[in-house]
Amino acid sequence: MLGSTDYFTGLFDNRRRTVAFVVASLALATIPFTTTPYVTDIVFTGLIFVMLGVSWNLIAGYAGQISLGHHAFFGVGAFISAWLTTPARANLPEAIQSPLLVAVFVGMFGAGLLALVLGPILFRLSGHYFAIGTLAVAAIIQLVLEDQRRFSGGSTGYYVQNSMSSEVIFLLTLVATVATIVVSYGIVNSRSGLGMRAIHDDESAASSLGVNPLKYKLFSFVVACAMAGLAGGFYAQFRLYVNPESTLSVTWLVDTLVVVILGGMGTLAGPVLGAGLFLSLDTGLRTFAGEFATVIEGGLIILFIVFIPGGLYKFLADRFGSEDQPSDADQRTPNEP
Amino acid sequence: MVASDLILEALLNGLLLGGIYAVAALGLSLVFGIMDIVNLAHGHMLMVGAYVAIFLFTTFNITPIIGMIGAFVVLFALGMALQRVLLERVVGEGIEQPIIVLFGLALMLQSIGRIWVGSDAQATDIGIPGEAIDIAGASLSFPRMVTFAISILLILGTWAFLKFTTTGLAIRATAQNNSAAQYMGIDTDNIYVLTLGLGTGLAGAAGALLSMLFPITPFVGWSYLLKAFAVVVLGGVGSVAGTLVGGLILGVSENVGVLYLGGGFRDIISFSIFVLVLLVRPHGLFGSSGGGE
Repeated sequence: MLGSTDYFTGLFDNRRRTVAFVVASLALATIPFTTTPYVTDIVFTGLIFVMLGVSWNLIAGYAGQISLGHHAFFGVGAFISAWLTTPARANLPEAIQSPLLVAVFVGMFGAGLLALVLGPILFRLSGHYFAIGTLAVAAIIQLVLEDQRRFSGGSTGYYVQNSMSSEVIFLLTLVATVATIVVSYGIVNSRSGLGMRAIHDDESAASSLGVNPLKYKLFSFVVACAMAGLAGGFYAQFRLYVNPESTLSVTWLVDTLVVVILGGMGTLAGPVLGAGLFLSLDTGLRTFAGEFATVIEGGLIILFIVFIPGGLYKFLADRFGSEDQPSDADQRTPNEP
Repeated sequence: MVASDLILEALLNGLLLGGIYAVAALGLSLVFGIMDIVNLAHGHMLMVGAYVAIFLFTTFNITPIIGMIGAFVVLFALGMALQRVLLERVVGEGIEQPIIVLFGLALMLQSIGRIWVGSDAQATDIGIPGEAIDIAGASLSFPRMVTFAISILLILGTWAFLKFTTTGLAIRATAQNNSAAQYMGIDTDNIYVLTLGLGTGLAGAAGALLSMLFPITPFVGWSYLLKAFAVVVLGGVGSVAGTLVGGLILGVSENVGVLYLGGGFRDIISFSIFVLVLLVRPHGLFGSSGGGE
C-alpha cells in the first residue's frame, strides 16, 4: 500500500544518508548570507513546505487519515505568533508581548492544543467523512477569523513586528525544519509509528491485536498539527504579514499535497525531495506558464497519484537504490535509530 | 427581536432555497452511495455548470432554465470521461487515491475558471416575466419559486429513473452488491461511468439554477461542496428522499440563522450544522450505511 512499509528501500545506507542530511542542512544555512533575498525567500518557502509536507505525511501517509484541514492549523500558528509579537494591533494587552521564539512556540502549542480538542470529535469520523469533516472545520476556522476583523485585520491583514533580522529567522526556521524531520523520524520508527502504520494498513485487524486506534490517530494528528502551527509561526515572523484569507487559504493544503505526493507518501525523505522538486517546478512554471502554473500542479498530483503512486522517492529508489538494502519491513526493528 | 412576518418570510424562502441545495447534493449523494467515492470536485463541477448557464445567458440570452440542460449535458460528459480516464484506475486502491485525484481536479477547475472568466462575480437572470407572491405578509420571489419547482421536478425525475427504469434497477443492484450484479450480467464498469455522469450532470444543473439566485465566482466550489456534503450527511447517503429533506433543513436553518446573526454567518451556519450532525450521528441523521470505512 502506497509504499507505507518500504521507506527504507535505500537511496543511501544510513550513514551516507545522515552525512547527506547534515551537509545539506549546513549548505542551506549559508543561503541567506551568500545569495540574494529573492533566493532566500524561495528557499524559506521550501522549508515551510518541508515542515508542512513532513507533518501532513505523518497523519496521512503513516496513520492513513486524510486530513484536509492542515492549512487551518498552519494559519492558527501564524496568527497566534503574530498576536504575541504584535499585540497592539489586535488591541490585546501589551503584557502578552513576547519574544519571537516564545511567540512561535506558543503558536505551535496553540495549534497542537486545538488539534487535541478537535481530534476526539473528528475521529468519530473515518475515511471520507474524516476528510470532509476536517475540510469543514478548517473552513469554519477561516470564516470565524475573517469575521473577527479586530483580531485578524480582516481583508487588510495583520502586520507583524519583531526585533530579529530575517537572516536569523531563516536560520531558526531551518533548525525547526531539521527538528521536524528528526522528530518525525523518531516517531515513525518508534512503537507509535508501528501503531500508526498498523492502523493505516488495517484498522480493525490492528484494533483486534490490541492497538488502540484513537490513541495513535490522535497522537499523530496532534503532533502533525503542532508542526503545522510551528511552520505557520515562523512564516508569520519571516513575512511580517498574515491575512485570514491567504494565510488560512486552502492553497497551503494543495501545495502540501503536491509536495507529499510528488515526493512519495508514507516515506520520510519523500516530502523533502518533493519540496525541492515542487519549488524548482513552481518557480520554473511561474516564469514560463504564468497563471497556468496552478493548473499544471493540479494535473501533476493527478498524474503522479495515478501513474507513480510511490512518488519520486520510490521511483528513484527502485531505479538506483543499492541492492543490499532490506526492502522488506519485516527485516527491520522498530527502534532502529 | 425579529418581527414574525420576517421569520415567516425567511422560513419560506429557506424552503425554496433548500430545494436547490437538495439538487446540488443529490449527485454527490448518489455517487457516494453507489460508488463509495466522495466527489471532492462536486462543488467545482457545480461552478462549471453555473458558468455554462452564464455563458448561454450572456451570449445567446437563453434563460438558465433552458441553459440548465446545456450545463447538465456538459457535466454529464465530463463526469463520464473522468470515470473512464482517471477514476477507474484508482478505485479499489484505498481511499487516498480517489480523494487526491478529485482534489487535484477541483484545483484545476478552479484555476482554469479564474484564468478564463476572471475573479469577478457573475450571475444570470431568470429572463421570463413573473410576479412575487405574498403569503400571509411574506413575499416569495418569482425566480426562487420557479427554481424550487424545477428542483423538485429534477429530484422526482432522478427518483423515478432509479426506481422504474431497467438502467435504474441496474444502478441500484450495483450499489447493493457489485459482484452479484456482475453475475446477473450487468456491466458494472459502465454503470459506474453512467452514475458519475449522472451525479456530475446534476451538479451542473444545480449550478445553472443557483446562478439565478447567487453571484458565482470560480472560488465558490469549496463552499458548495461543503454545503452539499452537509445535506448528504443530514439526509443519509444515497437516499433521494433524505437528500430533499436535508436540503430543506439546510436552506431553512441558513435563512433563519442569517436573520438573527447577519449575512456573514451564512456559511458558518451551514458548516457548523454539518459538523454538529456528524458529532451526534457520525453517519448522518437518516443514514445507516454507505461509505465511510
